[in-house]
Amino acid sequence: MSKQISRRDFLKLATAGAATTAVLTGCGPTSRFVDREPYLKMPEYTYNGMSTYYATTCRECAAACGLVVRTMQGRAIKVEGNANHPVNLGKTCARGQATLQGLYNPDRVENPVKQARGAQLSQETLDWNAAIQIVSDALQNTDPSEIAFLMGMAPDHLFDLVSDLANAIGAPAPVRFGALGMFEARATLSKAAENLFGKVSMPFFDLENADVVVSFGANFLETWLSPVAFTRGFAKMRRGNPERRGYFVQFEPRMSQTASKADEWIPLRPGTESLVALALGRLIAEARGGAVPAAFASIDPLTVASDAGLKLETLERLAQTLVNAHHPLVIPGGAALGQGNGLAAAESVLALNALLGNFGLPGGVFVSPLAPAQDAYHRPASAKEMADFIAKMKSGGVKVLFIHGVNPVFEMPKQFGFAEALASVPQVISFATFPDETALAADYILPDHHGLESWGYQRAVVSAKPVLSGAQPVVTPYFNTRATADVFLAAAALAGGKFAAALPFADEVAFIQSKLAGLVGEEGFFAAPEINSFTAYFQQYGGWWTNDPSLATPSAASAIAKRFTPAAAEFTGEGEFFFLPFVSPTLGEAGANKPWLQELADPTTTVMWNTWVEMNPETAHELGIENDDVVQIVSEAGGVEAPVYLYPAIRPDVIAMPFGQGHTAYGRFAAGRGVNPADVLGVHFNEAGDLAFAGMKVEVKKTGKKKILSRLESRIGVYGEGLEKE
Amino acid sequence: MVKRFFEWVIGPMGRIAVVIVGMFVFSLAAFGVYQTQQNPKPQPIQFPHNLHVGLGIQCLYCHPGASKGPSAGLPTISKCWGCHQQIAKTQTSPKLKPLLDAMTNGTNFVWVPVAKVPEFVHFNHRPHIAAGLNCENCHGDMTKVTIAENPQVMNMGWCLNCHRQRAGDDEAKLTKLTDCGTCHY
Amino acid sequence: MTVDLNKLHAVGAIAEAAEGKWGMVIDMDLCTGCQACVAACAMENNIPYVEEEDAGYGRSMHWIRTERFWEGEYPEVKISGYQPMLCQQCGKAPCEPVCPAFATVHSQAEQLNLQVYNRCVGTRYCANNCPYQVRSFNWRDYQDSRVRPEITILANQFNPDVTVRRRGVMEKCTFCIQRIHKAQDKAKSEGREVEDGEFTTACAQACPANAITFGRIDHPESLVSQLARSPRAEHHLEELGTLPRVTYLKEG
Repeated sequence: MSKQISRRDFLKLATAGAATTAVLTGCGPTSRFVDREPYLKMPEYTYNGMSTYYATTCRECAAACGLVVRTMQGRAIKVEGNANHPVNLGKTCARGQATLQGLYNPDRVENPVKQARGAQLSQETLDWNAAIQIVSDALQNTDPSEIAFLMGMAPDHLFDLVSDLANAIGAPAPVRFGALGMFEARATLSKAAENLFGKVSMPFFDLENADVVVSFGANFLETWLSPVAFTRGFAKMRRGNPERRGYFVQFEPRMSQTASKADEWIPLRPGTESLVALALGRLIAEARGGAVPAAFASIDPLTVASDAGLKLETLERLAQTLVNAHHPLVIPGGAALGQGNGLAAAESVLALNALLGNFGLPGGVFVSPLAPAQDAYHRPASAKEMADFIAKMKSGGVKVLFIHGVNPVFEMPKQFGFAEALASVPQVISFATFPDETALAADYILPDHHGLESWGYQRAVVSAKPVLSGAQPVVTPYFNTRATADVFLAAAALAGGKFAAALPFADEVAFIQSKLAGLVGEEGFFAAPEINSFTAYFQQYGGWWTNDPSLATPSAASAIAKRFTPAAAEFTGEGEFFFLPFVSPTLGEAGANKPWLQELADPTTTVMWNTWVEMNPETAHELGIENDDVVQIVSEAGGVEAPVYLYPAIRPDVIAMPFGQGHTAYGRFAAGRGVNPADVLGVHFNEAGDLAFAGMKVEVKKTGKKKILSRLESRIGVYGEGLEKE
Repeated sequence: MVKRFFEWVIGPMGRIAVVIVGMFVFSLAAFGVYQTQQNPKPQPIQFPHNLHVGLGIQCLYCHPGASKGPSAGLPTISKCWGCHQQIAKTQTSPKLKPLLDAMTNGTNFVWVPVAKVPEFVHFNHRPHIAAGLNCENCHGDMTKVTIAENPQVMNMGWCLNCHRQRAGDDEAKLTKLTDCGTCHY
Repeated sequence: MTVDLNKLHAVGAIAEAAEGKWGMVIDMDLCTGCQACVAACAMENNIPYVEEEDAGYGRSMHWIRTERFWEGEYPEVKISGYQPMLCQQCGKAPCEPVCPAFATVHSQAEQLNLQVYNRCVGTRYCANNCPYQVRSFNWRDYQDSRVRPEITILANQFNPDVTVRRRGVMEKCTFCIQRIHKAQDKAKSEGREVEDGEFTTACAQACPANAITFGRIDHPESLVSQLARSPRAEHHLEELGTLPRVTYLKEG
């Protein structure tokens, strides 16, 4: 044998090795044989290997988008939009898509538990009969005036049920709250409509038919009121008319995702929104000639321009654009209303619309219709009302507190002292689906089903047609949970007397049917002669809505005649920077426990899985701060630490932070991740009692620490950063 | 360096090492083959296909999904019971005890599917039935077996053989039937 | 926009593929960057999340992502259109010829780039050669419940029509080929052709702004073909001769 190994031998060896590797990798640990458990009894409408679709309503926010959920063999596989549903017309947002990761979430509350206000989710499970007994005892043995109900923004049917119960037993009406409502400043918007239109309602902005849209801080493409409906409207506004492309201008101190779609983003000084709106009005009135209406008479555009940090020419040009527009529309919202003078901002923007003469016209401002089976518009509690409620809790006025669908310990600024107030309530019963901060501070957690396992209905807030969106279970409950409505019904029946009389229903579905009874025979998307077929159609189509819009036209006269005393907003705090928290467009208020929402890149910064502080690169340079440097944001209320993201589209005097992270509980994906900017906020309100969340000034302190943010974008991306260091 | 290694390999110690390594690799490979060639687990009921087919029951009666969608499906227990509740022997036969238990106590049992493709293969029954194939073309003659067995290894060569035959000279059909994306996605 | 195939030395199958079968049009004027498509895609296609640390290394597995580029300096700064980036299903794909395992191949039947998971050995050559950076690699067993206990319950949501990928496998957008097959199978069982708009991809289905349109690019009357003829239409990195099947409509 030669001492040389030939090339041929080497190849042989190599080939043998490769073949062996191939054989080995071919047999992965996947088991060759599986067990397959057939149904004992096949559920109706299902077929092996075939999907079944159920219509229901999304519960990730309160906008009431219709969903059609694809299920297979009793598992929910995919969320799709309900194409007939007037709110979303078959479309969904990211949070709606990820609702399945809430349904099949590893950190749900699996059983009713005696939580006893522990730091972790209690393992002391209860029997449901015992749980109902606890609720029943709590209802019976407490003076009705000392029972309180704290409800989330969804679902509406449970709110109605609890309202009926509270009303019948003489308890105070349930309080409704949600972080989205707080950051949307819903109370301010409806208060402005009330002041100018003389009617408690939500104004309706006909975005899709407008051709020039000016928004003051309304982030309607992100989380504001009904983002899917507004995004559809935006698309129609932009490209719906082949003759012209819709023009969109946004006034906002920071370029939000919404502002990034604007043709012009105008970074004005925070707090000057109402002044700029009035100045625009005056310029428009002057451009048209004739007398300047009372609302705009006392404003001087030149002063306003300098106060707001803008050029007068910008305002003049914009005024001319609005004058020339066929369907101009101005929208107030978000950060503009979360100032000390937020109500003035909302009112002056509505007055500007009145001046533009768009009330009741396509692309203009309307009064939203009431939803079917609704007596009056009920807005959620403002922050001021929550503060009053907290004061009542602290003073011992609440002996039993029922909480469902809301997490105020996390969502409300710490300064409000909700957690401390909760500690002074003798009995707290939570119906949370997830072990969130508020649920952990309760005595008992009696978990409700996930939204996709639930019956119910939800009223659409932003819709030209009155919509009552229907929810039905698309899968059987995965855990040992029970519908909160059923728990209350059973508890009331157990208590007997006035409680049973208040809720004489066999179950949740019977209660929902009683509310739907008034719609039987009404003309709408479908009509049914009696309640059983009505309910069947209601489930099949995912709700009931009228065929025609029923928008009311507000009166422009009072809006235009209102005399404003224009003044820039006052800011609290000593710091150098305006503080602007905003709701994370991808996480919303309660998305942090869903891994795929965490994995989504923030649209403008592309940051994933964490909280960041947005700072203008110039400012950062002056302070000697670089990307990923951890800074401390300090206010009178306290401080939080988060890494800096050098954001090229923010005013140099503004610091912005997303809201949605910073949980201390709420499951493995949320807990201990990021910080909560609400911790920096103080107890300050605007004139309508909403939280002045954008009305603070803060200090920025360097910490010397660094935390690398995970971003989707290349790290050598923004302004060539990172290049010079190589 | 490389040259010295090769010299060592063809030396006596090297040859022994090669043999040891070779044996090791061979045993791993044998284990891998063994892993893929195990027999299925026992079925909960020794289901006699021959008897049922002999009674004139159509395949699609119990496996109706085959004509409708991807999965032929295993019958629900209530379907078995539909006939068996009328048969006196069901109450007494020890072989049928799991069925009786399932219906009376709700204790479900699990079948072990025998005709199974790996999860990276997406097989759909419907087009195969629509193309005129009969069940026995792939699953064998069920009048001859009790517990279903796979008459052949369902590997890709077997699939493609048939696909090529069926396509014949039709170029478009051949393209479609031999496209990777037809089964793998 | 037509491409001179002679200049690309295109012959045979490649010349046939110049037209393509399935196509997509994305209107960047409408895209709001809302991430609904990304979430919808993840839910439809069993895409794993990689968590913060791996995401920081650029290992996130999005099959579609919204890119955005800053233009100008404050205050004249703007985002020059959100640009959803997904596999362009190139007619002449740079990823295909470099795969030593023939795991990324061109589907002659559907005119798509396929990734055959069971062939893939994880060389990542294809990802290196993809000018659009749309291929993602499974660096870990992200979907294995022995590695991640939470998958046991999250797996209830998995789409049974799509393979759950293991470690060491490359993956990318498939134009929701499972939906294509489903629609074709349904149409065939009813003895007809698939109609335009009868089905769509998960991203297009979710998109609240209707910015994404999917359909037969080889049918001149289909909506997607009509949109692709818009004067605003452009193809990304067209100069590389990749023959992308995704058309972008510019702003303005």
